Amino acid sequence: MSTTALLEDTKLGPKAGGLYRHQNFLTGILTGGVAMFLGWLVAHYTVQNNANWGSDMVVTVTMAAWVVGFMAGIGAFNAVFRWMVGHDQDHDDELYAAGVSQGWRRYFKFCTDHKVVGTQYLVLVMSLFAVGGTLAMIIRTQLISPNNHLISPQTYNAVISIHGMIMIIATIIMVSGPWANFILPIQLGAKDMAFPRLNALSLWLVVAAVPPILISLFIGGVDSGWTTYAPLSVQSPPGQDAFAITIITFVVSVTVAGINTITTTMTMRAKGMTMGRLPIFVWGSLVAAGLGLYAMPAFLAAQSMLLTDRVVGTSFFAPAQGGAGWLYENIFWIMGHPEVYVILIPGVAAAMDVASTFSRKPLFGYKIAVGAFFGLGALALMVWAHHMFTTGWAPNLADPWMLTTELISIPTGVFFLVIIGTLWRGSIWTRLPMYWVYLFLWNFIIGGVTGIYLSDVPADQYFHGNMFVTAHFHYTLLGGGMIGATAALCYWFPKMSGKMLNERIGKLAFWVIAIFFQVTYFGMFWEGFQGMPRRIAAYAPYFHSANLIATIGAYGLFLGWVILLYAIIHSWMNGKVAPSNPWQAKSLEWHISSPPPLENFLVDPIVTSDPYTFGEGEPMAPAKQPSPATVGSTEGGAH
Amino acid sequence: MSSNHEDIKREQIAETVDGWTHNGPFHRRPSFRILILVILFTAFGVWAAVFFTDKIMPSILSSQMKSVHDTIIFFTILAAPVAALVYAIAAYSIYKWGHGHGEQAPPDGPPMRENSLTTSIWLGASTILVVVVLVWGMTALSSENQGQLRPVTIDVYGQQWLWTFKYPGTGVESNQLVVPVGRQIRFVVTSYDVTHGFWPNSLGVQIDANPGFKTYITADPNATGQFAVRCSQLCGLYHAYMDANGKVVTPTQFSSWLVSHGASTTSANAYALGGK
Ligand code: HEM
Ligand SMILES: [Cu+2]
Ligand SMILES: [Cu+2]
Repeated sequence: MSTTALLEDTKLGPKAGGLYRHQNFLTGILTGGVAMFLGWLVAHYTVQNNANWGSDMVVTVTMAAWVVGFMAGIGAFNAVFRWMVGHDQDHDDELYAAGVSQGWRRYFKFCTDHKVVGTQYLVLVMSLFAVGGTLAMIIRTQLISPNNHLISPQTYNAVISIHGMIMIIATIIMVSGPWANFILPIQLGAKDMAFPRLNALSLWLVVAAVPPILISLFIGGVDSGWTTYAPLSVQSPPGQDAFAITIITFVVSVTVAGINTITTTMTMRAKGMTMGRLPIFVWGSLVAAGLGLYAMPAFLAAQSMLLTDRVVGTSFFAPAQGGAGWLYENIFWIMGHPEVYVILIPGVAAAMDVASTFSRKPLFGYKIAVGAFFGLGALALMVWAHHMFTTGWAPNLADPWMLTTELISIPTGVFFLVIIGTLWRGSIWTRLPMYWVYLFLWNFIIGGVTGIYLSDVPADQYFHGNMFVTAHFHYTLLGGGMIGATAALCYWFPKMSGKMLNERIGKLAFWVIAIFFQVTYFGMFWEGFQGMPRRIAAYAPYFHSANLIATIGAYGLFLGWVILLYAIIHSWMNGKVAPSNPWQAKSLEWHISSPPPLENFLVDPIVTSDPYTFGEGEPMAPAKQPSPATVGSTEGGAH
Repeated sequence: MSSNHEDIKREQIAETVDGWTHNGPFHRRPSFRILILVILFTAFGVWAAVFFTDKIMPSILSSQMKSVHDTIIFFTILAAPVAALVYAIAAYSIYKWGHGHGEQAPPDGPPMRENSLTTSIWLGASTILVVVVLVWGMTALSSENQGQLRPVTIDVYGQQWLWTFKYPGTGVESNQLVVPVGRQIRFVVTSYDVTHGFWPNSLGVQIDANPGFKTYITADPNATGQFAVRCSQLCGLYHAYMDANGKVVTPTQFSSWLVSHGASTTSANAYALGGK
């Protein structure tokens, strides 16, 4: 008997869900569109009578109206509204909101089931990568020759800015979105996240945040990079206003999601799931969520202040009126540095779990790994000004910033120790997820070592603002974080989709990505050493060969990701059916069917050890199931 | 856990340690093979650093640029063995303990959850490396800030999308940056509009040009030659084209260059050679 069927067939009253029954992605878009139009109308006519407010006001109001309209249209406010007028949701309403008996349609709704949200996040992240990746191809094509006229300098600036920001948005949610929502609650032995509605809210806020930043490309764009340094950004075209609305919306989403992850981990653990038994992935997600709560509001502050500077004439960042660009830069990097660890840590944590499973060994140095996450999180709060070494701000503090930045190498080094310690004398099972762990090691070392050059103030005076920095952070973010996330994807894909990922195509994609990645960023390091600045649409002929290498590499890299995407879609549709535990792994998600049923566990699991009991003679630890009916099928699990 | 289980565990751990020392012929020991890999990887890393600094980077025209080169090589010498060790162990583990990609998981490895000796060595080594790197950086930085040479001040103005250099006291204003060798150049940098990044690349220094106030940076040119001045901070539409030519010349050449750009001979000499 399939447990999925049990809940799926539940008969709900004909009115269960109320307004939700009629709301979906499409009604969200329609309502958003109407709100946008009304917003435009109001702003436009107000502005006509007020010489102080210009097109910036119109764009801001229009974009904000879209976000609110979209969220209302998809039903994000229904429950709150009903609660306010005294008609709370009943149980049937909640089940309806969780997607019961709606089949595939629930994926297009404001659905509160954490597994639906996780899957939605995965598709969203992949779509964002597709958009960001396409923009990257435009950038690299422009740079294929020294004075290319494929796109105008204005378009070029807009494209690099939007490429950067979309990629940062996508990488921030690439692990915490799909996996901290889908897998983490199951790993804890929970039935859902602590706040299912906030979970759906966080997802759809990201969806709402995307159109403004894309629209910005068509209303003048953003010309100051994803960092939007003031005062340039104060004078940028109206695209900057749409950009700010995107960020503000996105920050709310990340904050809500972070609170949800933390609360879930602290309060929803099954009996016996002590903090010391948490899979390392949970720890990583926890630290990253906490760090996000600290970091992201600073981004909201920076962009809101920038917006008011532009729209209503405040002057936080306008030097002519007593403002300071340095103020913007500080607030930005107070967000910006912790944010890179928000991106990185969950990916590393997932890679550690994959390393343990595919080495058939307990994670080496569990405690020190947790310590490293916290250490890194703490240090991340104290290093932001290493992005400002060459600004002239606080030169007397160069030494302390250098100290904190270089200290980061210690927890970063621990990541390597933990992974190679886990590999050491393991039984290395070379399935696809493990491939990515190796690539992670290779890339992330290069990213880390180049970071040390940058942390040295005298050396940074050569490398700052130069393609070397671009290569460094792609090695860390893409080569480290995103490759870790890809390991996670290949690892949990069978659990999420119920299908095995095609490893032949997957391994082909792996080799293409692994090789062309090196080619691309080797080219960029070369450019950097030669002295090519970042973010330029044309360059001296002297830089040509290095750029050509980078562009060729980038095409290959893009192809590699397309192959992987093909493997994913192909396997999702026609893949071999996945058993519940294809990797013979031990954490709780592998004890229930693939994909898991609604509410995951029929009987709450009881946990007796951590999931790293490889070689310790407990074949199916940690969960001692009270009765065989506890969890979905376990066939294929025992060995 | 049964005591029998504990025994198995202890045995497995003993075997693990064995794996490292292993009493076979010397060249077959893991430690030896890993050492070879480490040496190879390290040599490659150091070679790459030397190659990049020597062949790819612009020439050294100042002591600051020299210190950039030295830092890259020195840090690589420190970091390469660590990177090499990670690569070597990763590569070796898959060669030695790889179990293929079958449907069934291979048998479990030894339950080696931690090893405080390894961890302490690792943490100790990384702490030492951090201290070395930090002291290196602090030393270089403080020597940059206290030049021994007599200073020459040059005012640098950034504006969208052009650099202007003023040579105070001579009345000369140019889009070309000319500096005398053997003197400490003190750049006083500002901007007329948005933030720019003043980057005379072969001088190995960089500082932002901010509207509304001034920033300072010093360079000590120690060889004559040409270099590029670039803008390193995205500053709008034509940021890519915000380049200027720079050159380091002898003080006498500097003086005559100033004269050819409209300075009086006395003011040029006083500025370029003065203060003796
Ligand atoms: C040992 C570890 C690391 C050190 C010492 C380090 C150091 C630095 C420094 C000093 C900069 C500023 C360079 C400049 O603009 O002149 C920088 C830039 C950057 N780093 Fe790292 N980094 C490390 C690891 C990472 C990691 C793990 C990530 C992300 C996962 C990362 C992402 C970035 C990004 C995105 C930038 C550039 C941002 C921008 O200007 O647009 N770094 N890093
Ligand atoms: Cu940073
Ligand atoms: Cu510029």
